[in-house]
Amino acid sequence: MKLNIEGLLVYFPYDYIYPEQYSYMLELKRTLDAKGHGVLEMPSGTGKTISLLSLIVAYQKAYPLEVTKLIYCSRTVPEIEKVVEELRKLMEFYTKETGEKNNFLALALSSRKNLCIHPEILHANIVVYSYHYLLDPKIADLVSKELAKKSVVVFDEAHNIDNVCIDSMSVNITRRTLDRCQTNVDTLQNTIQRIKETDAAKLREEYRRLVEGLKEANVARETDIYLSNPVLPDEVLQEAIPGSIRTAEHFVGFLKRFLEYLKARLRIHHVVQESSPQFLKDIYEKVCIDRKPLRFCAERLRSLLRTLEIADIADFSPITLISHFATLVSTYSKGFTIIIEPFEDKTPTIANPVLHFSCMDPSIAIKPVFERFQSVVITSGTLSPLDIYPRILDFRPVTMASFTMTLARTCLCPLIVGRGNDQVAMSSKFETREDFAVIRNYGNLLLEMSAIVPDGIVAFFTSYVYMENIVASWYEQGILENIQRNKLIFIETPDAAETSMALEKYQEACENGRGAILLSVARGKVSEGIDFVHHFGRAVIMFGVPYVYTQSRILKARLEYLRDQFQIRENDFLTFDAMRHAAQCVGRAIRGKTDYGLMIFADKRYARADKRGKLPRWIQEHISDGSLNLTIDETVQLSKHFLRQMAQPFRREDQLGLSLLTLEQLQSEEMLEKISQIAQQA
Amino acid sequence: MAALSEEVLLVVKRVRQRKQDGTLYLMTERIAWGPEGKDRFTVSHLYADIRCQKISPDGKSKIQLQLVLHTGESTTFHFANESTALKDRDAAKDLLQQLLPKFKKKANKQLEEKNKMLQEDPVLFQLYKDLVVSQVISAEEFWASRLKLSSVEHSLSNNSKQEVGISAAFLADIRPQTDGCNGLKYNLTSDIIESIFKTYPAVKQKYAENVPHNLTEKEFWTRFFQSHYFHRDRINTGQQDIFSECAKQDEKGLKSMVVQGVKNPMVDLLSLEDKTLDEGYGSLTVGPNSSKTVKENSNSAIIKRFNHHSAMVLAAGLRKVILVYWKFNKFYPELNLLFMNRDAPSDQASETSSTDGNSRDSDFFQPPIKKVKLQEAIEYEDLQNGSGPKTIALNLKKSDRYSHGPVPLQSHHYSTSQDIINSVSCIQEEISCYKPCLTRVMPSSAASSAITALSPGGLLMQAGTQQAVSQLVPTDVQSELKHLYTAAGELLRHFWSCFPVNTPFLEEKVVKMRSNLERFQSTKLRPFQEKIQREYLSTNLTSHLDEMIQAAYNKFHAWQTRRMARKT
Repeated sequence: MKLNIEGLLVYFPYDYIYPEQYSYMLELKRTLDAKGHGVLEMPSGTGKTISLLSLIVAYQKAYPLEVTKLIYCSRTVPEIEKVVEELRKLMEFYTKETGEKNNFLALALSSRKNLCIHPEILHANIVVYSYHYLLDPKIADLVSKELAKKSVVVFDEAHNIDNVCIDSMSVNITRRTLDRCQTNVDTLQNTIQRIKETDAAKLREEYRRLVEGLKEANVARETDIYLSNPVLPDEVLQEAIPGSIRTAEHFVGFLKRFLEYLKARLRIHHVVQESSPQFLKDIYEKVCIDRKPLRFCAERLRSLLRTLEIADIADFSPITLISHFATLVSTYSKGFTIIIEPFEDKTPTIANPVLHFSCMDPSIAIKPVFERFQSVVITSGTLSPLDIYPRILDFRPVTMASFTMTLARTCLCPLIVGRGNDQVAMSSKFETREDFAVIRNYGNLLLEMSAIVPDGIVAFFTSYVYMENIVASWYEQGILENIQRNKLIFIETPDAAETSMALEKYQEACENGRGAILLSVARGKVSEGIDFVHHFGRAVIMFGVPYVYTQSRILKARLEYLRDQFQIRENDFLTFDAMRHAAQCVGRAIRGKTDYGLMIFADKRYARADKRGKLPRWIQEHISDGSLNLTIDETVQLSKHFLRQMAQPFRREDQLGLSLLTLEQLQSEEMLEKISQIAQQA
Repeated sequence: MAALSEEVLLVVKRVRQRKQDGTLYLMTERIAWGPEGKDRFTVSHLYADIRCQKISPDGKSKIQLQLVLHTGESTTFHFANESTALKDRDAAKDLLQQLLPKFKKKANKQLEEKNKMLQEDPVLFQLYKDLVVSQVISAEEFWASRLKLSSVEHSLSNNSKQEVGISAAFLADIRPQTDGCNGLKYNLTSDIIESIFKTYPAVKQKYAENVPHNLTEKEFWTRFFQSHYFHRDRINTGQQDIFSECAKQDEKGLKSMVVQGVKNPMVDLLSLEDKTLDEGYGSLTVGPNSSKTVKENSNSAIIKRFNHHSAMVLAAGLRKVILVYWKFNKFYPELNLLFMNRDAPSDQASETSSTDGNSRDSDFFQPPIKKVKLQEAIEYEDLQNGSGPKTIALNLKKSDRYSHGPVPLQSHHYSTSQDIINSVSCIQEEISCYKPCLTRVMPSSAASSAITALSPGGLLMQAGTQQAVSQLVPTDVQSELKHLYTAAGELLRHFWSCFPVNTPFLEEKVVKMRSNLERFQSTKLRPFQEKIQREYLSTNLTSHLDEMIQAAYNKFHAWQTRRMARKT
């Protein structure tokens, strides 16, 4: 159908539309009109991707000078491929409707193996790739540097974007890294020696270039050609490389000294935590390395590797890592912490020193993106509470909205189970997690559900270790055997290949009618990347609240930073983080309006307002007072009722006019009034 | 004695049958029993007729052996020799165990099939009794049309009938029970054994290798249960254990399954992430945890074992399905093609994620299965025109009953207190304003005559007698009548199916069917009619039957006269 979104003609490749899709497009258009950033939450399965693509493509066609490019970032390879598939569908629709041959160029990068498209990326109208191509400075510099300012950037499935940012800026150095660095340095030294004998002019040319400074890069940035690189700070561009590391030999000597210093730092027996300035002070006192040459380290190494024409850069990844660390630690005095641990907490007898250089501020990595591109849209099915993302990513959105899923029948059924039939409270909280009664009640819940839920059930645990313990305990109590009478059991393992196989078998068992249970882990690969549509997931059970492991020093440092810098209380952040993962897990089962599924939160803490209130609105609004703190029996009764209702056919006529609209219905005054209420502005 | 030349394999004395002492003989083709002092067998069964044997459980005072025949009858022998009873019985049992399977295969396949049909279909069985046993028509005639008729659908239903899969919990069903004196007892049935074999082919192989040359069956299973293989910490399997190899084989099988990888790219976690960070980058590095405690190791062993077990159970079920498909494909080659298509992409699945995304030509590199899965994943069936599969909604009078399921009945009679108060007040109101309307009351004589007219036997109740056949006729007569109807129906079906008579075969048949009908009338219908006359029941019970048969006769007569006319 052809839609009129506030005066913009949008080709939408379907015969019907969900009201929330229309509402979403409205908000999106307003964001683009304002040339600002937006945060939009809309449940999965409501056709978010096609709405985004339809609107932005239409916008690009209508205002080719305002928006020149769409950069669509998603997280997993299947997600990226799905976007491409939807785009293809849209383009086919355009061709069919307008009769013109499609002149849009879209490009998808889905594997680093195919990273040879640099010029093409500049000409494409749409680029689809993974977050890292934009957020990881090491890759962004290669791929995305020259993307036009007038691009619209979309981060889909963005609920974890802060972690991606942090990961791309954090560095861990072990003894093994340093040993390999040593080899790298030796190779460098030998190569320089050889070149000096054969082709000294090359090194002289490099020296000349370095004296000139990084002027070129600076000009480029000022004239707005490049996406800035957080590892290449502005000052570096304006200055020449300091004399002390300008010649190749000097630089290698400098690296050696730095390496020796790091080795010494790893020879410790107790945990050390310090800030970047403390580290710089110490390195100056110990080995007289100044802040300035450290800052140029990454750039200088790049230049050297280029000059030496080293074919396989991958061999030099350890020394590149060290150079990045040097530049980052000397550039940012805030937002990072250094933690040196002599051994793992679990194994205090085995020396395994690690230097964690940990980014605590996700805004550092994403800052260039917000600054460079005129519109950045952050969207996902679970972004609640909406206001926290602008705070931790440090940007000012022009639109923030959460859309609910309009439903003709309530196809999701969130239930909070707080007690066993013996009235013992169920919770995964630390004090009771080893409690026999809790584990048994969890087992009984799964057993009862396995008897009444058809086909597939997915259960998530808060961590892998917790799941292992519970499974062992269920095994001993004979609970698993009883469950096996109803369904086959498959369990996620730390091995991805093994888990993939278990997943496929799980689907097979759902497909052929046997029914199966998948035991899995929140924050694991399954919870983040696999959908359980229709019969692959008729119920999701979340055992416990998936808090992150709070004893880690890195996390503690990050929490402190959040409190000091962003005034976000530790507990608020931890709960937010736990709830977004819980929402991700339970959201896996509902992938559309024709789908249906139970969402069982098995922990009494979910009933509290501070937890419940952090769930996405589209889940929250279906939690009634009658579904809080249930016993297992009550849960079974409610579930049975729900499943039997859902098992009835669901036809288009049931939806039409309510959660599914024709073009005429969409145009009625009354409906437009209703639609305006779907979006809740944060 | 029928066949003195038969070789006698085993003679057991002092075996009682129907409280009579006697001797049991096991011969090459049959089992027989003769009472003491008599020179003939009163019991004799061909092995081929025996469906199975059953023995009395250990510890029972009477030591018995029961033979169940294909016909459903059974014969029980009681071994009465106090000292050797158990040994005698076991000797007989073991020999039978060896002999019976040989004859099972020999047993007439068709007979079995007929038998099965009769067992499964009580109506057919009754018909068989009415027509064949009472010799109205011959057995061949009866089956001739039956088998032809049913063979197609039967073979189809046989083929497509799903085999029962294996319960995932079959190992749970053999939970050991303590026998009270410091031992464990496992209850093992042949079903469970089969399940074990199907799920763990390695154990089956061990069984074939070791039983009975190295171990007896009992020893084998004892070892199986003793073996760590069966228990959770399979990592500590002893070397001398015959099952340690099985564990290794399982491990290997699991590995090869994992190495094979998955066909569906959407669940492949290995290629899920586009880019993992380079080594050394990232915030929370969870390095390879080399130092696991013993407990954690055994925990992860359990998890592995569950995955493996479920996969094996699933595979055991699928093997059969494939077999059925295979059989099916022999008859429906086009289906075969379909399956080929379905399986074909698996080979190419390995080269996933080779998309450079560069417009069309990437399509050719995309394995079809991936394409299909992607299409599926982005499809919104409700946004598109074109209806999905037709479904049928339940039309429920009491939907609450459906959705709340079987719960105690009284819960449905709950009315809210408001309902009760409302209705009470409603009734009160009605009563309070009730006024008898005396002017319009009927005179008593008219009222009583109306009551008599409406009582049973009254003027207005006469029409009621006819519909009360079910009350007037005793149930045994009713059922007999029903049987007569089915039998007559069957015969008439045969009769009418001969028309138009255009082959000599049909001509012959129609004549025969007429005589069959006559025979039916004289041997079955007449006695029944006499019987109901004796019991003073209305004769018009059979009038319809008579009419039907008469119609057939008329037809036959018409056909015959026409034939005669043509011949002359």
